[in-house]
Amino acid sequence: MAQKTSGDTSHLYDGKVVRSSAPSRKAIAGNAGIGTEIPKDAIPELQIPTFVESLLGGPIVPKMKFLPPDKMVQNLQLAVYGLLMALAFLTLIVSPGSGTLWYMLFGSIGVATALQVVVISVATVSGFVGTFRRDGRFMLLSNLLFILAILRFASSKVALAFDPFGLADRPFLLSSLVVVYAVFLIMYIELGNGVLRYSMLDTSIRTNEVYVMNPGKIVGKYHRALVINPVVSVVLATLVLSANKILPFIVGLLNSETALRMEESVELTSVYGVALGTLFVFIVTGALFMLNLPGAVQKWREARSE
Amino acid sequence: MMWSRKSAMLGSLAVAMYLLGLTLRNSQLVTIAVVIFVVLTWAALFGGHADVASSGRRSEEFTGEEGVALGNVSAMRKMSSARLFEDGELSVTLRMQNHSGLAKILEVRDRVPEVMRIKSGSNYILMELGPRRETFIEYTVECPLRGFYSLGPVAVRIQDAFGLFHREKELHVYNDFLVFPKMEDLKETFVKSRVPKIFTGAVNIRQPGPGSEFYSLREYFEGDSFRAINWSAYARSGKLMVNERERDAVSDVIIIVDSRAVAETGPVSRNALVYSTRAAASLAKYFLGRRDSVGVIVYGDEVVSVDRDTGKKQLYVILTKLAGAVAKGNTPLQVVVNRILPHINKGSPIIVLSNLEDDPTIVNALRDFRARNFDVTVLSPSSLEFEFDAKRLDRTGYEVMKTERDVLIGELRGLGVNIMDWEPDMLLSTALAGARGF
Repeated sequence: MAQKTSGDTSHLYDGKVVRSSAPSRKAIAGNAGIGTEIPKDAIPELQIPTFVESLLGGPIVPKMKFLPPDKMVQNLQLAVYGLLMALAFLTLIVSPGSGTLWYMLFGSIGVATALQVVVISVATVSGFVGTFRRDGRFMLLSNLLFILAILRFASSKVALAFDPFGLADRPFLLSSLVVVYAVFLIMYIELGNGVLRYSMLDTSIRTNEVYVMNPGKIVGKYHRALVINPVVSVVLATLVLSANKILPFIVGLLNSETALRMEESVELTSVYGVALGTLFVFIVTGALFMLNLPGAVQKWREARSE
Repeated sequence: MMWSRKSAMLGSLAVAMYLLGLTLRNSQLVTIAVVIFVVLTWAALFGGHADVASSGRRSEEFTGEEGVALGNVSAMRKMSSARLFEDGELSVTLRMQNHSGLAKILEVRDRVPEVMRIKSGSNYILMELGPRRETFIEYTVECPLRGFYSLGPVAVRIQDAFGLFHREKELHVYNDFLVFPKMEDLKETFVKSRVPKIFTGAVNIRQPGPGSEFYSLREYFEGDSFRAINWSAYARSGKLMVNERERDAVSDVIIIVDSRAVAETGPVSRNALVYSTRAAASLAKYFLGRRDSVGVIVYGDEVVSVDRDTGKKQLYVILTKLAGAVAKGNTPLQVVVNRILPHINKGSPIIVLSNLEDDPTIVNALRDFRARNFDVTVLSPSSLEFEFDAKRLDRTGYEVMKTERDVLIGELRGLGVNIMDWEPDMLLSTALAGARGF
């Protein structure tokens, strides 16, 4: 009960020591030692993808713990296995031991070839393991080893380690083989990513982290891209690489003599001809981007749909 | 258009191979580089084009980006409620519309405050939105902590099938909502206490307000009830006059909430400020339900006060202030006391909710209250316990500080303050009963 007031409050101060403050807990806690870790619920849980995850898995959901694969992922895995075999075989063909890093290091074609086979084998096995276990680290290792295998530090046109189809005498087919090889390499990288991305997506769907409407259409778009993109890439790359044929043809419409000289020009038929063609094509592409061709295409499609 | 890390990696590889091939005059490397360039270019050119725009509230903030058909995709949001209590659930319906004649594959993420939890549904959707179609995305969030929150913006992304390039757009559609601190029902506890009415009796507050006793006459203002018009006075003066009645609150109750930075010591969901706001809300509800007049003062970096009043509207005002209390600043309690002392009626019950830390003026401030015969109750949520439970404090440090805290509490008790060291697992009613000596 409250005391009766007399107006005199001096009794409140009698014998009392005026303290400065409550103890500074922070200071003692800082010196106290053991328990300085931040409790779990003090910081909201954030999931940030690691660098490797974002390289391989894309930005959909940064998680690498997958549920068992669904049918689509299994199909993608099968496709990767097939592509991996073809890629390993093509890599063996288009990357002879001469000119490789191993040849530069050891100076022996035998050692270089053996090491090249080892690298390709490890890349293949790593690719299998990575795809089967859906582990991005093995896939990344496989991709890097395939790229390492194809790097050649020597001046050359296309050279084959062995020639089961007799392509060495047919330059166009030889070039096409390299184009096909490159497309296989890209598609292998992409399909490997696809396995991870769709595993993430499938896992996220099943754990209710993401909701997918019309999954059939979304998957259908990916399937179409898997067919269309390689075909388009082969056609466009072949066009780019045929610059030494296309340029003389265009010039020939104006002056046949100059065109003939161009056709016989060593520079144009060498790697610099390819570079010139590439430069030409990409200048055109750059110009199209500057003119906002994607926007124009989209606008046209929108207008057509109206 | 934005590059993903994958496309950046492929692009870098292609550039490296291309330059190496040119340097070494190796056409094989150049060929591979060209193929990679072609794949990237194709994806960039025809992979997907985000043409999305914002709509809905705050559209004036939309800064827009150059695109083909801004306005093709729009988002609107509807919430089940704009006000709810802690641990309440909020149902959200996001309406996505595609005004274009083309179908679009969209990745949509509706941004939810980090402290919220998705209870059902999903705020992250991958969808194919058909031409001139709309879809409704529904999800429920659980709101565990009080505060002012905002849902949005809606992030929309379109990317090519291989995930090489994407375009992102934030639709600036926001919905604000308020999470009030949850309240404990104190009614039963008080009824069961040994003294049914624990605070001082009715106080003659001599202020006009809703009540039954006549207080004075004044001129009619727009909005006044017709029932309050004094027709006799109107007949006499020719002016519309209304009766004012004396507020018949039982007493004024002042609740002081400590929201200084130190009040948030401890885990996010368990700290003195969380407990204090919940206690203040519960007490306000209880006293207002008893027809008392309740005022609230929240002090942190500044002193925010809700003037004494009664009724449901007052509860809403108090809850809103408590929801917005942010742990900031270090205003001493003495400043609050000095400011409010001239304005509160002598004898009014005062309830202070503070962890009593890092404030050298606490003893003096509470002594000032007691010296003027205010009935002071202090509920002190113990930050020590929060930190000890969270294993941020070792046993020795805890014991030392606990002892010092006990000494302080004893000292305040000596001043005649009803004080309770409120431990985390203790119900408010128990703590309050303990403070009052029941």
